[in-house]
Amino acid sequence: MKRRGRGMATMWYPIGFTVAANPSAAVVKVNEDGTATLLTGTVETGQGSLTILAQIVAQELGIATDDVHVVSADTDATPMDTGAIASRTTYVTGNAARMAAEKAKLTLFEIAAPLLGVKPSQLEAKDHKLMVKNFPQRNMHIGDAANHARMVSGQPPIGAASFNPETVALDPETGQGKPFGTYVYATQIAEVEVDDETGETEVLRIVASHDCGTPINPMLVEGQVEGGVSMGVGFALEEEILFDANGKQINPNLTNYIMPTSLDMPEVEVDIVDNYDPTGPFGAKGVGEPTLVPTAAAICNAIYDAVGVRVTTLPATAERIFKLLQAKREQQPKQLGTAPPALPGGPSDGAPAH
Amino acid sequence: MADERSKVADRPDILEKPDILRPPKPAPLVTFPIDVIVPEGRQQTPAVGQRASRADGRLHGLGQTKYIDDMYLPNMLFAKIKRAGTGSARIKSIDTKEAEAMPGVVAIITARDIPCNSFGPSLQDQPVLADTRVFHAGDGVAAVAAETEQIATEALEKIKVEYEVLSPVLDPLESLKLETPGVHAPSANVYGHKIIKKGDVQKAFAESDRIFEGTFRTQMVEHVPLEPYACIAQWDANGRLTIYSTLGRITLGRADVARTLGIPMSRIRIVATVVGGNFGGKNEIRAEPIVGLLSKKTGRPVKCTYTRPEEFYASTTRHPLIMDYKTGVTNKGKILGRKIRLVLDGGAYCSWSETTLGKACILSAGPYNIDNVEAEAFVVYTNKTMTGAMRGFGAPQVCFAYESHMDDMAHALGIDPIDIRLMNAFEEGSISPTGQKLHSVVAKESILRAAKRFGWNGLGNGNGSDNGHGNGNGTGVKA
Repeated sequence: MKRRGRGMATMWYPIGFTVAANPSAAVVKVNEDGTATLLTGTVETGQGSLTILAQIVAQELGIATDDVHVVSADTDATPMDTGAIASRTTYVTGNAARMAAEKAKLTLFEIAAPLLGVKPSQLEAKDHKLMVKNFPQRNMHIGDAANHARMVSGQPPIGAASFNPETVALDPETGQGKPFGTYVYATQIAEVEVDDETGETEVLRIVASHDCGTPINPMLVEGQVEGGVSMGVGFALEEEILFDANGKQINPNLTNYIMPTSLDMPEVEVDIVDNYDPTGPFGAKGVGEPTLVPTAAAICNAIYDAVGVRVTTLPATAERIFKLLQAKREQQPKQLGTAPPALPGGPSDGAPAH
Repeated sequence: MADERSKVADRPDILEKPDILRPPKPAPLVTFPIDVIVPEGRQQTPAVGQRASRADGRLHGLGQTKYIDDMYLPNMLFAKIKRAGTGSARIKSIDTKEAEAMPGVVAIITARDIPCNSFGPSLQDQPVLADTRVFHAGDGVAAVAAETEQIATEALEKIKVEYEVLSPVLDPLESLKLETPGVHAPSANVYGHKIIKKGDVQKAFAESDRIFEGTFRTQMVEHVPLEPYACIAQWDANGRLTIYSTLGRITLGRADVARTLGIPMSRIRIVATVVGGNFGGKNEIRAEPIVGLLSKKTGRPVKCTYTRPEEFYASTTRHPLIMDYKTGVTNKGKILGRKIRLVLDGGAYCSWSETTLGKACILSAGPYNIDNVEAEAFVVYTNKTMTGAMRGFGAPQVCFAYESHMDDMAHALGIDPIDIRLMNAFEEGSISPTGQKLHSVVAKESILRAAKRFGWNGLGNGNGSDNGHGNGNGTGVKA
């Protein structure tokens, strides 16, 4: 019989490296028409980080995402970056990009202020314009200011900046310290269906509530979560590299190393938890890695809820669950003619301490 | 087809309209829509918060993205790497003569050709090619550059390597024992150790109503990106080396290439192409020094693309963990103390183990206010595929343990899994196991929002039914 169960898991995850310096530098150049170029040493690995960085620069300059072209990943041409690792791009490279854009913007403010008859500190960049705060009708197009900067003032608006998360080294004996600048939090709840005769598990649905600070681009956050969940489903139920007695892999191919296909994917409901981190660019933290952290735990808790067996070794293959079910049945006293007794709490049912 | 032709003869309409029989028009010169329609999300201000589509998305959709396998430089050669195929061995001899004599084979290198045969992000314990010892089955022992990929693959078969096969250390708990021979003797098998101590765990256990214990284990998995590891190197007449690579970390990559090849960083240019998935598997160099040297030796560009099996056994994987948890709680479910021991299977080389060890240890107590924590973690060498960076750096493993453990306690104490988590979860200003004051904490909010969306115990309007859930019975839904 197929039995349904539900299970949850909550996690925390840090942004950036553990104590070690992991800086990012960035250069922003504002073109004469008010569009901009960002130079970054990070690499687009398919997660959409260059789009996030473009949005951050655009926000700072008051222009649109499409106005920012990103040049990336060339050691000859782009500034130093620790790279696409540790869920750090939005937070660390994003902070560097925002600060670089701010420097270019301040140059533009210096140019525009006398033309608008105010001090630079009275200006803000919004909607492709540099405008006087609280007097939006007193403004000039960012392109006019940028063109003036180059053709008249001789001060091309270019900003360079770098950022490194603030950490404190851990004490080697007690591990006390501040290893990371910030953390994100998330909860996933899984609904599964387990066949109590074969041990086969199907994940029906995953609700994923993730904190990423300000979502710079909610669509890309959703993409990351869906991708992370698929990796989590594989980690929970199927994937495993096996070795022979000589230490050679037995299944180094996609025929025998089983991973989830689109048909194995549950329905994923992504929920972004409102949050704002004052240390991140526009309140943003990150989301890349955390998306798969709670998935396997949530699925295994749902398996327990469905059929009452605790998987303590991953992956929770049908074979492994079948064996656990078998062991559980053998432990149960046989009662004929009456309903089965309520099950005990579980295999890890704790004994009183004293 | 024959039937179709005979039909044509019977159809005067076709003879009247000979255009039908003309060859089709040539394909249009521009095979993609040249006029760009910029989606609204990319045009709006303010930019932050917009569902802006990616600039590279259009190129992916139109099949115009150029991955390394799509790139060809004039006169380019193809490299393949001979793998050891056994976990632990002494290399007695390598004979490349027969392979070198093959038509189409241009150059072969072994460890002896590499100026500095070691690299690694924290410990420099990885050889570019195995020298006298094999530490895991995916170790490369020789590399061939040939006119075609097929010739290079065939040449690998002609390279004769004589091994003295040694008994491998495969079990991390075995590796942890002092009497087990060192994988990298004289170095110890334990190559990383981390400890976190907060409060007094023994006292907390003595004050607890219940003590729960559990051991959890996780397996080794691969990143399996769509695009396998790939790189192209071109050594020019100025002695400048340009490398196109799938690397996710070009700054570190350039330092490692400079170290292994013994050339200044100013002579190295690394360009990372659009990468078809990383997930942590492309965070350090792989074949870059090999193609660099082969290009230097031949004066021609050299490309190396990993096969899918190589992606499994010659790149990094996720650390398997063995996790012992002991937790003291009150009858109401408040956690008073937690003791954790983690053993990480570190594989043949350190790679990103130090980071994984640290993150696993720091995160192992979970997002909970626990005044008394003792966590100790070890990472050990084994003769298995190297473990390294992978999405989550130890966190998915410890989360599997602490959250399974949490539910075991909730069930035994008769508390709803939500309530036990809400009772213990971090909140704004909570102090982490390392003594860090946490900010922008929304652990409880994420629990409540997920529960509401799911429809857990009547929270919210979700469609998750409560009927029969819990108590390990589940609900029979169909036969």
